Amino acid sequence: MSNKALFQIQPLLIDPCPTQPCAAPEATVNEAGGMVCGIDVGSTTCKYVLASSDGEVLAQAYERHNTKQAEKVLEFLARLESEYGLTPERDRIFFTGSGAGIIAPLVGGKVIQEVVAVAAAVEKLHPSVHFVSEIGGEDMKTIFFHGNGPSKSKQVLMQSACSGGTGTFIEKTARKLEIPPEQLSRMKYSGYTLHKISSKCGIFAEADANTLLKAGVSVEEIIASLFEAVVYQNLATLTRGNTPSPDILLLGGPNLFFIGLQEAWRHHLVRLWQERKITLPGDADPASLIRVPENALYYAAQGCIEIARREPNLVGVYQGAGQLRWWIEEGQHEEKKKLGRGGLWKDREELESFKARYGGNGHGSKNGNGHRSSPTAPSVEEAGNLGPVGVGCDFGSTTAKAVCLSPQKDLLFSCYALSKGNPIEDAKALFRQIRGAVGNGEILGLAITGYGKDLLKNILGADCPVVETIAHATAGLHFFPDADCICDVGGVDVKIMILNNGAVTDFRLNSQCSSGNGAFLQGVAERFNIPMNEMADGAFRAQAMPQLSMGCGVFLQSDIVNQQRKGWQADEILAGLCAILPLNVWIYAGGLNNLQQVGKKYILQGGTHRNLAVVKTQVDFILSKIPEAEVVVHPYSGEAGAIGAAMVALEWAEKGGRTAFRGFDAIEKLSYKTATSIDTVCHWCPVNCQRSFIDVELAEGSGREWSKVPLAKGWERVIVNNSCPKGLVEDLNEMKVIKAGIEKTKNAYPNIADMVRKEAFRRAAN
Amino acid sequence: MPIPILQTWFAKKHSAAPPIKDRSQLRVGIPKVLNIWSTHQFWVGFLKALGISPENIIFSSDTSEEQGREFGKGRGTVDCCYPVKCMSGHYGELIFGQKKKINILLSPMIHSLPSILHGHVVDTVTCTRVMAGPENIKAGFMKENDVFVENGIVYASPFVSLGDRQLVSGQLYTSLKDILNLDPDETERAVQAGYQALENFTTRARQRSREILAWCAQNQKPCILVLARPYHMDTGIGHEIEAELQAHGYPILWLQYLPGDADLMNWLFAEDMRKGRIKTPFDISDVWTSSYSSNTNEIMWGAKVAARCPWITCVIRLSSYECGMDQPTYTPTQKIVEATGTLFFKFGDLDSTKPAGSIKIRVETIVHYLAKYSGSIIGRKLSWLSADCPLPRTSRERTPTRAMADEARAAEPKQLVVLH
Repeated sequence: MSNKALFQIQPLLIDPCPTQPCAAPEATVNEAGGMVCGIDVGSTTCKYVLASSDGEVLAQAYERHNTKQAEKVLEFLARLESEYGLTPERDRIFFTGSGAGIIAPLVGGKVIQEVVAVAAAVEKLHPSVHFVSEIGGEDMKTIFFHGNGPSKSKQVLMQSACSGGTGTFIEKTARKLEIPPEQLSRMKYSGYTLHKISSKCGIFAEADANTLLKAGVSVEEIIASLFEAVVYQNLATLTRGNTPSPDILLLGGPNLFFIGLQEAWRHHLVRLWQERKITLPGDADPASLIRVPENALYYAAQGCIEIARREPNLVGVYQGAGQLRWWIEEGQHEEKKKLGRGGLWKDREELESFKARYGGNGHGSKNGNGHRSSPTAPSVEEAGNLGPVGVGCDFGSTTAKAVCLSPQKDLLFSCYALSKGNPIEDAKALFRQIRGAVGNGEILGLAITGYGKDLLKNILGADCPVVETIAHATAGLHFFPDADCICDVGGVDVKIMILNNGAVTDFRLNSQCSSGNGAFLQGVAERFNIPMNEMADGAFRAQAMPQLSMGCGVFLQSDIVNQQRKGWQADEILAGLCAILPLNVWIYAGGLNNLQQVGKKYILQGGTHRNLAVVKTQVDFILSKIPEAEVVVHPYSGEAGAIGAAMVALEWAEKGGRTAFRGFDAIEKLSYKTATSIDTVCHWCPVNCQRSFIDVELAEGSGREWSKVPLAKGWERVIVNNSCPKGLVEDLNEMKVIKAGIEKTKNAYPNIADMVRKEAFRRAAN
Repeated sequence: MPIPILQTWFAKKHSAAPPIKDRSQLRVGIPKVLNIWSTHQFWVGFLKALGISPENIIFSSDTSEEQGREFGKGRGTVDCCYPVKCMSGHYGELIFGQKKKINILLSPMIHSLPSILHGHVVDTVTCTRVMAGPENIKAGFMKENDVFVENGIVYASPFVSLGDRQLVSGQLYTSLKDILNLDPDETERAVQAGYQALENFTTRARQRSREILAWCAQNQKPCILVLARPYHMDTGIGHEIEAELQAHGYPILWLQYLPGDADLMNWLFAEDMRKGRIKTPFDISDVWTSSYSSNTNEIMWGAKVAARCPWITCVIRLSSYECGMDQPTYTPTQKIVEATGTLFFKFGDLDSTKPAGSIKIRVETIVHYLAKYSGSIIGRKLSWLSADCPLPRTSRERTPTRAMADEARAAEPKQLVVLH
């Protein structure tokens, strides 16, 4: 893959079906005699083709630009001038590709839309081609040519908003799997078992690949599955009722370099032709009708030349590289200031008043609520001797938290334990701390929330399993009874709860796309070696910041590199990231374009809102949509779930509930055995997670006699190390037991839709 | 090999003897989509009356992503309405996925619908996008090659105004006469049979809903009403969200089959009629003046019933991604339902993928509120209605199914509101 690889494009000679008439109008050859240069400025590479006035290719090359598009073009131009005699005022230059817009005017060039350019080259070189797929680094395009001869028409489809189906999609996962590019290009598709990998988003594909790797799936199978996902995504989104019929041309870097991707295309297209009974010319081997020209990379640049030759000779006259050089050295930095937005604040005064209102969030009173005093943390003297308390626990995926509330719902104690993957040990660690605080004090009620609520309910003797939304809403409404919306931005997920009359009426959980979560912010901060707690200060220091693009996290990463290159500093980039976070949270992940619908009072909570810069942008964003809105930060941003659970436990106790809490001794003495074997592997999907069964001795445990790992009465089973909720069900036997239970309930409580599904389409006499 | 159907099929018979219209061997496939979900038995009754064997009437299966992938891939059209878009999978399944091939693919363009609100509203027409859906999807199978012809299938897409009884025979005769060799009289008889079959089913379903409400009244238990379009009963479109609530022990009603019995409706709407806000229980002009769209009208009416009926303590609103018909109804339905303190939860933007994680959390949330507030909601709404509730109210606790059987036996014949 070096820039020395020059391929001579030989028009028409290489096409196997020369009998088809060429539909492209013959170029009006420019009499001026100057050379014509086509430059394709793509998202990962730049390519040029230099041709004589009659279209003969004199030179061509491609190189990766490592996000320095303009610099690479300048380097190309210098080379073309010195080695091939490209001359200002005489020769002409045409640009295409995602980076063409900025660069072309600086050197006098004309911009050609990339699909138009590719189509022009294909029409010229391969008149018998009916379908082209061009996959780029950050986009994918298809071109359908319908009909033949003069009636030939083309339909162009393009997608560049999301990483699914693009080259980045493959490369990102391959990097994670530590596969060098040379190896990746040789990896195959045929003959491997394929696994389901999300074809929609590069970040989810990476997560899927990780899960597969953990489950022991070979790297070869994962890569083959990635090729499958890319072809599927292209066919699913960019065919729109057209059948890609022969001949077929695959263009662009990924199609050229990844042999496995070519194989995947051949596999799918040949099958599609069989299914749709497409007649193939002669007795041609179907696979041979899908071709990847060795100069597949240059079609867009070559297309520029074709189009240039049809244009009047005053169009696109090369003006020399001086302006471009000035822009790289000075212009873009000046423009940076012009284009970029101001910092996260208007003036010092505004920042100070913001900090005065929100600055002390956490256990202080400055949570944006101003006038409301927040409960204080327990003093050391009180701890160890608390009176009667309600206990709430929140078992999350990374930490477990617990709080004790007085009957008046004042927070008396809070603690947390980092999850060790064994919920029994996590619970023991938590309850040891609670015991230290409560001493001999009475436990009025115990409620648990988070993923552990169903697993641990019986084992701990919890009185109320509380769903996350109820826990958060209860905690939020306790401090802010008139709240309309709770926005919880955690490390990996974004939750938006919309409240109405004190009930959670709508709930948004981001699950389709990774954009907008705290982990991404943290990842970038880590890359700049900025500790999380200093991030907000850094972001506030920025006097200006780049305008980053909302949405796809994969593209955001390359956007950041691009901004860095333009000279933006770490603080400024972090400020820019904080500034787009609200857009990603509310619009991209939450799907809420109209905040007016949501309400007027907003509670921000979750770990990411400990970052004051994020709070600032959130507040500014919400106020920009609803000027009269009130935005507050939950005083116990991280513990809200546990506090809400404890409140539910207290309400339950007030209504006369008598706690079933097992007691600290019993929890400390919980004895369990762990089994991890071939019999504990999950078979619900091909990932086959290696789960562990933790069997806990409990007098009233119902046992699992039907299990492959039988469990006697007096034991309760907890399943861990599953990667999705399906894995919490042991196997088909348990599914039958569960289904039988559900069926019994469903039979007792009818659903009219069941009647419609069963009887409305019946053909026999009713 | 030419398949002996249609003109050729009948032509042979013509030449031999007087037409014996033996259609028993014709196989007719119907994509189970859109408003077929509320007109199902009309088509069964209609085709059976024309002599098509019951086993030769084939409905496609419920929508699923697999169905779309296997049979509809690449035939999709530019349409953001998933219930329309998914039709290509249904067409494909009927064309390619049948062991015994079908002869006719019947995909009616239903322009208007029979409705319980007929006569009380301006009109009962369907969504234009839904009505024209068959045309849109057909294109994907004819754009390059005529897939129907290739597979020996005749594509039949009659334009039919099922809400306008007088027009239907003529419409179906015109568009199907050549395909099925119809004469006007037998078409009229078949249409009559179709309406009868549909009415039989609808009556039974409404009776079942009444039994559920009677059980709720007897035991002072809550139930849930689903406000959605008929095709949200398709497990691939509504994603069985209501079934997850049912599994927590709540009976589920759908607005399409709410009991329209005069005694019950007059009891629920007595106050509104007394004050002159509405003329009949089926009058929705107080909340929805542009009452042209059949499903939209019924959704608004369902919201009014839910707001008043004491045992409906919770409404689940289902809506598909970017549904332009639903858009203007979101706020009114929510306001109507919540006006009496009835719980209202919306699952919007439903698409091909079931967001299982967030649905589970939302269902648990809803169940929490149902358990917490149902008792007080029932009490409050009962206090606003007169004491002469037509549903028997005792405190006996029985399982709903047993109670319903008893109730059905004991129930006197009720005056059903006539649809047409």
